[in-house]
Amino acid sequence: MSDTLLINSSELGATASDWLALLKPRVMSLVVFTGAIGLVVAPVHMNPILAVTAILCIAVGAGAAGAINMWYDRDIDAVMKRTAMRPVAAGRIEPASALGFGVVLAICSVLLMAVVANAVAAGVLAASIGFYVFIYTMWLKRRTPQNIVIGGAAGAFPAVIGWAAATGDIGALPLLLFAIVFFWTPPHFWSLALYASDDYKRAGVPMLPVVKGARHTRVCVFVYTLVLLPVALLPYWLGLTGRIYGASALVLGAAFIYYAWGVLRDRQDEAGVSLSNDAPARAAFKYSLLYLFVLFGACAIDRLV
Amino acid sequence: MMPNAPRVEHENWSPEMVAEFKRRQRGRNIALLAALAAFCVLIYAVAVVKLHEYGQMW
Repeated sequence: MSDTLLINSSELGATASDWLALLKPRVMSLVVFTGAIGLVVAPVHMNPILAVTAILCIAVGAGAAGAINMWYDRDIDAVMKRTAMRPVAAGRIEPASALGFGVVLAICSVLLMAVVANAVAAGVLAASIGFYVFIYTMWLKRRTPQNIVIGGAAGAFPAVIGWAAATGDIGALPLLLFAIVFFWTPPHFWSLALYASDDYKRAGVPMLPVVKGARHTRVCVFVYTLVLLPVALLPYWLGLTGRIYGASALVLGAAFIYYAWGVLRDRQDEAGVSLSNDAPARAAFKYSLLYLFVLFGACAIDRLV
Repeated sequence: MMPNAPRVEHENWSPEMVAEFKRRQRGRNIALLAALAAFCVLIYAVAVVKLHEYGQMW
């Protein structure tokens, strides 16, 4: 029997795509994009091979944080419809394997960033991974409805890392890009939370609609979207970007406010529950993704032309 | 003498399940090989660029 491998009949083992899914590829695409923009708008030219490697480090670092998040949140992922099929929650990958995978990738990404770019970029990358894992996942997510307000900082780091990789320091523009993602995160996630609140409620995650109700959340989405407009215009007002970015920030911001207004004015019952199946919140969520891609794209175009 | 490769065996597994297990295992192995090969190429390219930057090559 020594040459026989006995395996639990409930498991046929994970596929390669399950391991890839641990890295949250969809979140990774946003991280890669904002990190690349930070690198492109930096005033220092970086060798293309080193630049691509630096962006890869940002992507792998973010993916590693995602894998550790899936390890830690496997209990709540399993009861939420949106996340029940994730590889750890569904039992296709052992929790300890996911944790080991995430930790090894996190260490490798930070070390490689230090070799390829510099200590500042590696330090900020390590801080972003630590922030996502310890501050957001382990501390805030299950304790406060402000979880994604503070936790949003984790997703705002990549532009700063990209800039730091090229320049070795942190300037005003990457800090403003950080602020834009920071203020963009609440209306983005709360729009999603509005139509996924049953899921969060079932899992016991204190998202804003679960704790304060849908009506209060709609007001918060609108207020944060209003605040986002001047924040997004700051790089133009301070002369750090040109007119292409300025015009884009104004038009995109106005459109975002229009969508947020739709969320605020959504038909609802006395308890604030949507009578339109949260159609405006779904539209606002989709638009928020477009907003960030186009706004950051305009920032890069402004720098290149 | 090389030991025999471990056999995959379970009393409840049908031949289809064993085949599926082997298919997944092969897929993981190929993905790992591709990742390791890509990592080696990446490190080689980074080393060449770094050496070139510091004037120690060509």
